[in-house]
Amino acid sequence: MKTIIVIREKDYRWVRHVFPDIHPLLLPICNKPYIEFLIDFSVLSGSREIRLASDGPLGEVEAYCENGSRWGVQTSYASIQGTDDLEVVLEKNRHFCSDGRSLVINGMVFINYDQKQEYKTVFASLPAGELLSCSGGSLMLTGVPENSGSISRSCPFSISSIDSVSLYYNLSIDILNDASTPYVLPGYNNEELCHIGRNVIIGKSAEIRKPVVIGDNVQIQGGAVVGPGAVIGSNVIIDRESSVIRSVVLAHTYIGEQLEVEDKIAAGNMLIEPESGASLAIEDPHLLTGIKKSGATVPFLRYLLHTLVALTIVVFQLIPFLLLFPVLKLQGKWKQRMQECFADMSGKTLKLSETAIETGGPISTIAAFLSLDRFFLLFRVLAGQLAVIGSRPVPATSENRDLLNRMPGYRAGVFSYAEAEDWPVEADDMAIVERFYAAQGKPLRDITLTMKALFNRIHDKSLP
Amino acid sequence: MIISEKIISNISVLTPEGSLDAATVPQLKNFTAKSEVTPTLVLNLSGVDFLDSSGLGAIVGMARNKRESGGDVVLACMNDKVRKVFEITQVARLFHIFDDLEAAAGYAEKQQKSL
Repeated sequence: MKTIIVIREKDYRWVRHVFPDIHPLLLPICNKPYIEFLIDFSVLSGSREIRLASDGPLGEVEAYCENGSRWGVQTSYASIQGTDDLEVVLEKNRHFCSDGRSLVINGMVFINYDQKQEYKTVFASLPAGELLSCSGGSLMLTGVPENSGSISRSCPFSISSIDSVSLYYNLSIDILNDASTPYVLPGYNNEELCHIGRNVIIGKSAEIRKPVVIGDNVQIQGGAVVGPGAVIGSNVIIDRESSVIRSVVLAHTYIGEQLEVEDKIAAGNMLIEPESGASLAIEDPHLLTGIKKSGATVPFLRYLLHTLVALTIVVFQLIPFLLLFPVLKLQGKWKQRMQECFADMSGKTLKLSETAIETGGPISTIAAFLSLDRFFLLFRVLAGQLAVIGSRPVPATSENRDLLNRMPGYRAGVFSYAEAEDWPVEADDMAIVERFYAAQGKPLRDITLTMKALFNRIHDKSLP
Repeated sequence: MIISEKIISNISVLTPEGSLDAATVPQLKNFTAKSEVTPTLVLNLSGVDFLDSSGLGAIVGMARNKRESGGDVVLACMNDKVRKVFEITQVARLFHIFDDLEAAAGYAEKQQKSL
């Protein structure tokens, strides 16, 4: 028995909209990532191999699940197109599905199973075809039943869709309130309706009211009330005299002093009303804010190398710049405009000068050959605001904020990785090259690529 | 790099073996230019153990040329290392990727017939 989980971007668009920093398959339901519920069910069904097929990025999920050995299964990953129907998806994974039976979980559905049940024999006797369906997706089986003599038609489990924030909230609270929960939830649990993670510090006068699920590395300060009905994610601080009742607090969130969170979802600095889906961004960091994840800072080695390279280029360009810049400026060929751009993945913005040297004449040609149009930007590298080589700066607009989520490792650079390659002909090609090198994260290679970019610009026919 | 060609379901299947990088990309380009491949072709990547951005560029470029003339490039049997490159660069979105060569050729044939 094998399981293939098919999930498309359209199935989880709402998650991207409400929780942009969380991969939908890792969305925590009572502190347990959604994918783990699917894996648990697959294991109970007797699957030893699980494949995740999606038209969206799976890198984060792959980093989390790795090869699946944690669950005693083998996980693999496949790319599909958003327009592929289930038949095409199965064809694309024919080799995986070729031997024996395959369970197909299609869409963002939650399977209401019981961990105490054993579904292996049930699946062996169920007929091929669609078993269950709901608005969010379906469950189907392929292959011939192993017990062909006794074909069963009833499924001892059900599915429900998770296609809105209210359904997500209700699901979390329902699982939390179920005293005989049929799922394995994370955390220490020596009494009903109470799961507490590791390294949880609870202040003396703080009150914990069941049912409650608390993640790892949580601080609950004195006078705070947590529960009933609270799901507290990992790396959360609940400050003095605050209360969290019938609410879900996602990981890396700080709840400020004397804040009442009731029937809400708190994620970073966002407070979400589950029923209406309305969200409110709290600007005051003393009330509600996100806690920065460690490792978000620029690695020191990369900063050091980029600074050295930028400094070398500045020294090399200084004299030509001092000689040519005034002439070009007087000729009106040095065009400069300021633009607000995203600096990195966090969405931090920077005002950058974009320089264009007008064509015509030997001075323009020499200035372009020497990349003098990037001279001012090099000082931003010295200030630690830009990389010497990275992605082309993306203008800071709300549409481009979504685009940033599709550019893992984005860091605006003076030169673009795409300029170090010969083949990109379109903006999409450039994005491919940028993503390729951004994911590598090799500071020493950046030096070579910067040199290549400088060299390629000399041969760039589009330059004056 | 060794490149072989065979026909499955009336579709040309190209099988490059070895690294697909800046050094070997011209070889692949020369091969496709000289060979009389079908409008839609299958690129069997089972023998490719390394792929860099130039290799990626060659595949993207090949697909662009094929699509301009109404065909396509269908990818098959990529190993995990190569799949990860397609995944992180989001090039996977641009292609139909199969884990079985026959299935890929069957799909390509259907596509070619619908032209």
